[in-house]
Amino acid sequence: MTFRQARWDEPLLWEVRPPREGAPEAHLPDSIPPELRRRKAVRWPELSELEVARHFTRLSQMNFGIETSFYPLGSCTMKYNPRVSEVLARRPGVADLHPYQPEESVQGILAILWELERSLGRITGLPHISLQIAAGAHGEYVALRMTAAYLKDRGETQRTEVLLPDTAHGTNPASAAMAGFTTREIPSKDGCVDLRALDAALSERTAAFMLTNPNTAGLFEEDILEISDRVHRAGGVLYYDGANLNAILGKTNPGKMGFDVAHLNLHKTFATPHGGGGPGDGALCAGDRLRDYLPVPRLERKGRKFHLSYDHPKSIGKVKTAYGNVGLLLRAYAFIRAHGEEGVKRVSERAVLNSNYLGQRLGEHLPRAFKPLVKHEFVLSGAPLRERGVRTLDLAKRLLDEGVHAPTVYFPSLVEESLMVEAPETESKRDLDAFVEAFLRALHDSPEHLREAPVNLSVGRVDEVRAARALLLSWRDLEKAGAQGAGGAAAGSAAHTGP
Amino acid sequence: MVRWIPGNGEEESLLLKSLGLGSVEELFRDIPEKARIRKIGLDPPMSEMQVVREVDRLLAKNRTLEEFDAFLGAGLYDRYTPAVVDGILQRSEFYTSYTPYQAEASQGVLQTLFEFQSLWVELTDMEVANASLYDGATAIGEAMLMARRLSPGHRFLLPSTLFWERRSVLENYAPRTDMEFVEVPCDPKTGRLDLGFIERESRRDCFGVLVEYPDSLGILQQDLPKVKAAIGDRPLIVSADPLALTILEPPGNWGADIVVGEGQGFGVSSSFGGPLLGLIACRHRDARMLPGRIVGATADGAGRRAFTLTLQAREQHIRRSRATSNICTNQTLVSLAFLAYATAMGPKGLAQLASELASRGQELAKALREVPGLKAPLVEAPFLWEFAVGVEGRGTDEFLRSMFGEGVLAGSSLADPRPGARAPRFPGFLTSVGERTDTAAIDRYARAARKVLGSPTSGGAP
Ligand SMILES: Cc1ncc(COP(=O)(O)O)c(C=O)c1O
Repeated sequence: MTFRQARWDEPLLWEVRPPREGAPEAHLPDSIPPELRRRKAVRWPELSELEVARHFTRLSQMNFGIETSFYPLGSCTMKYNPRVSEVLARRPGVADLHPYQPEESVQGILAILWELERSLGRITGLPHISLQIAAGAHGEYVALRMTAAYLKDRGETQRTEVLLPDTAHGTNPASAAMAGFTTREIPSKDGCVDLRALDAALSERTAAFMLTNPNTAGLFEEDILEISDRVHRAGGVLYYDGANLNAILGKTNPGKMGFDVAHLNLHKTFATPHGGGGPGDGALCAGDRLRDYLPVPRLERKGRKFHLSYDHPKSIGKVKTAYGNVGLLLRAYAFIRAHGEEGVKRVSERAVLNSNYLGQRLGEHLPRAFKPLVKHEFVLSGAPLRERGVRTLDLAKRLLDEGVHAPTVYFPSLVEESLMVEAPETESKRDLDAFVEAFLRALHDSPEHLREAPVNLSVGRVDEVRAARALLLSWRDLEKAGAQGAGGAAAGSAAHTGP
Repeated sequence: MVRWIPGNGEEESLLLKSLGLGSVEELFRDIPEKARIRKIGLDPPMSEMQVVREVDRLLAKNRTLEEFDAFLGAGLYDRYTPAVVDGILQRSEFYTSYTPYQAEASQGVLQTLFEFQSLWVELTDMEVANASLYDGATAIGEAMLMARRLSPGHRFLLPSTLFWERRSVLENYAPRTDMEFVEVPCDPKTGRLDLGFIERESRRDCFGVLVEYPDSLGILQQDLPKVKAAIGDRPLIVSADPLALTILEPPGNWGADIVVGEGQGFGVSSSFGGPLLGLIACRHRDARMLPGRIVGATADGAGRRAFTLTLQAREQHIRRSRATSNICTNQTLVSLAFLAYATAMGPKGLAQLASELASRGQELAKALREVPGLKAPLVEAPFLWEFAVGVEGRGTDEFLRSMFGEGVLAGSSLADPRPGARAPRFPGFLTSVGERTDTAAIDRYARAARKVLGSPTSGGAP
């Protein structure tokens, strides 16, 4: 198979047809104060509908998507996004609802959100839920705000430190810092939490320990019950980063493992589309310790009626407009209903099976970072490539030429030249085998080809260094710089390009 | 059961065989026995058709905006979106793709984001925009944190009229106990900001000033262009309505340092409140302080124009606890909707829509002004398509409920619904005209209000 991406050299919108200049073409009511009236119309082109459609369709052809390509992106859980969800989310019964409508007029959607909450409560073992969470990082932040409120109520304001393993995703420390905590990273041992290092770090200043299990190396933290005991004995809150939930559905759950609170990335485990970077959607699931602090409103059921309750005096309040990314929550609901008990269990079984299979096959060609038994993802090291004068980045770019997405690279940073591979349950054995073939072709290609890659995409290796130096961030910047400028050397940076 | 897991149940054994395993359970042997669960407790699987029927059965219990005369807004709007927009959003390369970290495989998404950033820069007359934040309320929060990075001080000036929901979100974005909110008063009759107060307070340990354009009561404060001069080099944050910016002087022209907004009204339905779109733009000199992803133009090795994520050293995946924000997954597809909608409408179409809505807003106010018992608008100040209304002699909630009984969703209450919450400075509700609001709907609204206010109170309210 030879893969070739479209190469349209598609102009920018204002190059399709330059905008006209002048005053806005509209008759404003007299009530608008003259000093506030726009003098110059918004500078944007007037295009026909076909011009618009063709522009974006061509652009779409210069992009991978799940329906074109396998995304073995570790930590991202790029699974198939069922088409039926797109149909359902566009039903007027949900699309044409305003969040400030009276409760009586939205009982149907509240029933769906209620059922989704109940399902997520069962899936996580943490029954108190808020769906007002835009994404994983937002959930982390909100949970830490709840933790701060909880600690304040208990008079434990000296607890100002959040602990995390050195394999933690970047959002974990960023959320902790934003929520007003200091952070401390604990060195891992063989990819897992080192109990001794944890003990040394726990203190009366510990507010929380943030962990994902399986962790970002794809390993199940076998000491989890011990970890939970120790964190609790030290008075800390144990936080579950649910980004990796796809590995454990029906086998264990955060509640059972001793976590006090968890965020879920519904755009990972429950198949809501990633949208080229978002919108995601989240859920925050709490046990008894933090439940009173969840954002309002909380969804309640009184007989057969659903009610949005603001009567939660300890709640931290609102964290986002309205009630969450409802259009996406509906998709997650559909996913769970379709799979049901058996299906949801099969999701994790197959995802773990796929990843172990792929790990075994690729592990014959590049060293695996840790023990072979993994959950939904695994980490390889591209360090041996160095002998041939190439790097993980080159391998990743060369893989793109095969029409498959690259794995997550340079994360977790504790593995040299790391590649983090995940194979969700929706990938067939045939597709996994095809990926192995592609991977081997890439791996065994000449160093020159690797460094030149990609050559089959709409553009060649993109110069990120130059982008950061020139800072051309809008049309206006391009104008100032005199359009596009001449080509420079393609210097690939080795920044982590992952989840 | 749906067929989303491949291989018809037969591939598992092939995979197990090559792993040398007898059962899939062996792959979970690293989970300690005491942490195991046997069942989840979910319902049995359903076919796709059953799921569709079940969802439709439940959704049928909702009453959509179409079934009412609806005057709801407060930042979230029910607008008609040209069909071409959804056609674009349904390209699976857009809606199913991942964040464009691998630039070469993602030029489509990257170029649209670059165009989107350019659009927000043009609407605001600012210099740099990012690829999106979660929504308008969290965007205000992020802007406040950004101002804190740009400027010393501990106090933050915000409008006394700020909608309680935005205010609550903002409080949650101010976790540091050393931050203090100071409310800027406005004249209760004219809505005019107290510029003297702003000038004085901005010199007292203040790190930023927030204004809304228009504000949470719909008011278009005519003194806004003077605020920047009053506060000097303190960062001025403007929260602006994108559609309003098609007919109003852009904040970049009157000295804004950061402009944020809620973008939902451009290209996506109100969907019971989400997904939404947080917009943010700033000056070039402050670009390194922006939260979230930013796309920049560059070239490939052959000099061909290309786009890539840039300034990533600000972000959580590189900078971790010192990142400018924790945001990772954002609202990219909604940014694309915003861009596609604005482009499908064109600047002329947008400005005409804005002026038409503004005219209808006047028409509604005129009709409501004549209803005894209503104070419309609550504050005699310029406005566009939204304004606050006071209800004399009885509770706002009761009025809104009775109007609902008449088939009119008259607006959303300005009061914080949390028990024990502070009473709003301006008690009443926000009413908003939309594209569906025609003269007949306005008549029905006024008639229903007369009927409701003319009848004796039912619930024993004072
Ligand atoms: C392990 C982990 N934690 C947290 C996050 C953050 O989640 P989100 O991108 O939904 O904010 C991610 C994904 O991006 C992740 O992989």
